[in-house]
Amino acid sequence: MTLNTNSNGKYDAIIIGGGHNGLVAAAYLARAGKKVLVLERRYVLGGAAVTEEIIPGFKFSVCSYVVSLLRPEIIRELDLPRHGLEILPLDGTFTPMHSGDYLWRMDDHGKSRRQIARHSKLDAEAYEEFGKAMHQLCKFVKPIMNMVPPDPTSLNPKDWSKLLFLGKRFQQLPREDRYNIVQLMTMSAADFLDQWFETDVLKATMSASGIIGTFLGIRSPGTAYVLLHHYMGEIDGAFRAWGLPRGGTGAISNSIAAAAREAGVEIRTETPVAKILVKNGKATGVALENGDEFHAQVISSCCDPNLTFLKFVGREELPDDFVTEVMRYKYRGSSGKVNMALDGLPDFKALPGVGRHLRGAVSISPSMEYMERAYDDAKYGRFSRRPYIDIVFPSLTDPSVAPPGKHTMSCFVQYAPYKLSEGTWDEKREAFGDTVVETISEHAPNLKNLIVGRQVLTPLDIERDFGLTEGNIFQGELSLEQLFFLRPVAGWARYNTPIKNLYLCGSATHPGGGIMGAPGRLAALKMLADWKKGVVA
Amino acid sequence: MPDVVIIGAGHNALVTAFYLAKAGLKPLVLERSASVGGAAVTDEFYRGFKCSTLAHAAGPVLAEIAHDMRLGRNGLEMIEPVARVFAPAPDGSWFTLYSDLARSVESIARLSPKDAQRYGELDKTLKKISGVTQHLLSLTPPSIDGAPSREDAWKLLKTGRGFRKLGRQQMFQVLRWGPMAVADFVAEWFETDLLRAAIAARGIFGTAMGPWSAGSTAVMLLRAASDPHPGGVSAFPRGGLGALTAAMAAAARAAGAEIRTGAEVRQISVKNGVATGVTLTSGEEIQARAVVSGADPRRTYLKLVDPVHFEPAFVVKMRNYRSAGTIAKVNLALDGVPEFSALGSFGSGADRNQAMSGRIHIGPGIDYLERAFDASKYGEFSQHPYLDISIPSLSDSTLAPAGKHVMSICAQYAPYKLKDGDWNTQRGNLADAVIRTLAIYAPRLPEMILGKQIITPLDLEEKYGLTGGHPYHGELALDQLFTMRPVLEYGRYRAPIKNLFLCGSGTHPGTGVTGASGANAAREILKDLRK
Repeated sequence: MTLNTNSNGKYDAIIIGGGHNGLVAAAYLARAGKKVLVLERRYVLGGAAVTEEIIPGFKFSVCSYVVSLLRPEIIRELDLPRHGLEILPLDGTFTPMHSGDYLWRMDDHGKSRRQIARHSKLDAEAYEEFGKAMHQLCKFVKPIMNMVPPDPTSLNPKDWSKLLFLGKRFQQLPREDRYNIVQLMTMSAADFLDQWFETDVLKATMSASGIIGTFLGIRSPGTAYVLLHHYMGEIDGAFRAWGLPRGGTGAISNSIAAAAREAGVEIRTETPVAKILVKNGKATGVALENGDEFHAQVISSCCDPNLTFLKFVGREELPDDFVTEVMRYKYRGSSGKVNMALDGLPDFKALPGVGRHLRGAVSISPSMEYMERAYDDAKYGRFSRRPYIDIVFPSLTDPSVAPPGKHTMSCFVQYAPYKLSEGTWDEKREAFGDTVVETISEHAPNLKNLIVGRQVLTPLDIERDFGLTEGNIFQGELSLEQLFFLRPVAGWARYNTPIKNLYLCGSATHPGGGIMGAPGRLAALKMLADWKKGVVA
Repeated sequence: MPDVVIIGAGHNALVTAFYLAKAGLKPLVLERSASVGGAAVTDEFYRGFKCSTLAHAAGPVLAEIAHDMRLGRNGLEMIEPVARVFAPAPDGSWFTLYSDLARSVESIARLSPKDAQRYGELDKTLKKISGVTQHLLSLTPPSIDGAPSREDAWKLLKTGRGFRKLGRQQMFQVLRWGPMAVADFVAEWFETDLLRAAIAARGIFGTAMGPWSAGSTAVMLLRAASDPHPGGVSAFPRGGLGALTAAMAAAARAAGAEIRTGAEVRQISVKNGVATGVTLTSGEEIQARAVVSGADPRRTYLKLVDPVHFEPAFVVKMRNYRSAGTIAKVNLALDGVPEFSALGSFGSGADRNQAMSGRIHIGPGIDYLERAFDASKYGEFSQHPYLDISIPSLSDSTLAPAGKHVMSICAQYAPYKLKDGDWNTQRGNLADAVIRTLAIYAPRLPEMILGKQIITPLDLEEKYGLTGGHPYHGELALDQLFTMRPVLEYGRYRAPIKNLFLCGSGTHPGTGVTGASGANAAREILKDLRK
């Protein structure tokens, strides 16, 4: 293997975008002996998994802020802990209610049980059972996460064997699990949870994981699946554990980048790509915005299909029906982010003081109706008057991100539709930020006095700053018709594209978004397999 | 002793009775009310005025079933008006989809030439897809245990081959469309909001979904399987839907089935895990080799059978089966032909009558439909409801005195469970909201009302035995369709109890008056009884 310290502009592979998936793909390719170049538009690596000092002294995981989905095989194979990855546990979810009561679920089963039993003894029992059932379902779904999607329309025995494998595994499941799995794949989070629990606030706060990053309400079919998608997280093999990377989510990207560099990958930041060069239906290289060109056998884009195909490739190089399908692919960003620098920690009326409850997530999801009404606003083109908010205080767990005695507060906010029916996001940005502060202040009135700095990211900002079309944090909605062999375009769900030697490797491919890394890894494995077969030439 | 007891004389039960009798068995149909038909009945709701009480458009009944039952010879006359659906908007724009493609295209072209062209393409696409999916309607959903039986495998293979003939691109399209929100589906085709809404309505009619609910496209495609016309079915039996079920009853009797009305089943008898007969509310016991329930799954499994005969897990699943209805019915006796402002001076009076001789769609945009749905999520009925209307007397003079008319209105959304008050106190308010809404489109209508009949979801439950007031015996959602209808593992018409079967709308395919559930159930029952 040759190290490409003095490159001559000729590489085996060029990866467009230094997001976490791009870096994962690069690392895997390099470890297989390929000479790889990663080109990142911004000054910092990580895409939406970045840490930036937005307010002097305060470092924020600007976009994605917690981790749990990162595939354990990637952590292992790339030896990420040696490259600086350290994940600190984030314990539990605290949900304050308007009545002054609260629901607090912790990782400690006994404690969660006692907490839920305060609301309903039946639900405390059911919660255990639910956890076990979800664990079983995650085990069933896991191999799908590690699978290049088959083509159900093909007669190729390889595709059929994959589908039969899934069918067989399904048949072998115990009856209750089979029932649960078909329900999860088709139902709404609310309907699914209604079957298990009676406590409204419990269902509300649990259903929240079903809508994150989608333009769907908790009553929309298909959201139960997203619930599972978020349950799938594992840290050190423990299902359903969420964590904070020390140094913010940028630290994850940096550790992957370090692993990639060690394997010989060359990474250039502040190098925006303008075009993917295509000759006779074959990708041959990229042209930068400054006019420089780089050539390689394989080009892989970690950007979404809109940028990759409509901006970098250009529709004239693509079949018409493919372009139609790319344009139909739905983004519909529905969330925003508000990052705040605080002088101290807010006091929640429901449970005053700086307790352990602030070391986990604080979820503003007090009732099912609240969640659904938040969605109703968005359907008609306005941000929720009372949004669902997922709050963490990273500085409590990781003091390195804020000056001593000060704190960072990260608020994930839904719904904030990309398309507003009135006005523009540039006009509404601060009003949106104010709504978030007011909403939280209903539960923690002293918050307003603590804010020393605030960053408001609207879907428009997420699009402009991070290159995510329409501000969708998953590079395309996680709705049933955009999953597995339909992601991003039916018939092109296997990382390859109608342009020879051009591959996708971002969240717009199976198995989708979150700091998971699976698309990058699977894409790299697919490229390497194609190389071996001589498909790449 | 009859061979088989069939509970209920709804249209599916009558189809089952017919096929069982035709195969040489002796079925006995027991109907609670005084006449047959279930939810497919005609009532004189006001002196001299008759109309299809609940469902107002026929299925269509699958051609094979209509043929086998010789419904024509048994007294059925179908009226197929030239128009399928007329859609007016408050701004005065309108179109009518006719059975004839060219006329539909012409009507849409006045709103958007682009949409007119796309409409032709949608028409073609749905026809092509339904050519394949119609076979699914008469298919027993495959068993999920072990390898499929030879018969199942053959049928699946046949459907699979048909599916492959669609071509790769269209195959993927069908897979992609199924789970999609119907609002997205219509947006892929049309730019005119009114047209989008009228076509999308087929995905939400009778369901607890709005056009933005994922999976509503599957419902639309399911309905298109039995009639691919984008506007949906508009076929009226002369004399209302009661005439259809009367013909079915005549066919079943002619084949050898016995039908008893006024005979309400109180309980299904089960001995050692086998259904052995039924007990009537009168105390009479009737033994039979098999019991078939045309009632909905919840009524059958949670009320008619003592739950001790089921595993607790099954009972839990049935309790979780969703069957809360969202639809109400208002039938009006009118002093004359209602005049829709949108039609204004369009053509002659006869032309105008023809344009609205099918169904009338009130729901001028996707957002309108979604807002109507929103109310129901919070336990309120829509103040501006989505209405699916027919004026069957325009083409059937037997329904109203000369010069007078009946208007049959399906109003959505009217949730079974109200947050405030109950349906007995709210029924008048519901009718007011419906009439107020209609008056926006036909301002003179309120003055023309001679009499009205209001049927709330609670009435559907109490008078017609539809648990939760759901017209289809259970929600048409992805998780309750095909192999999962009513519940996974028991989606093949058989109950967890031997010799007990379901044949109603709570089984696959379970939508509309098609008779498919009844015919499929009969086939499976015969298989078991011949063993």
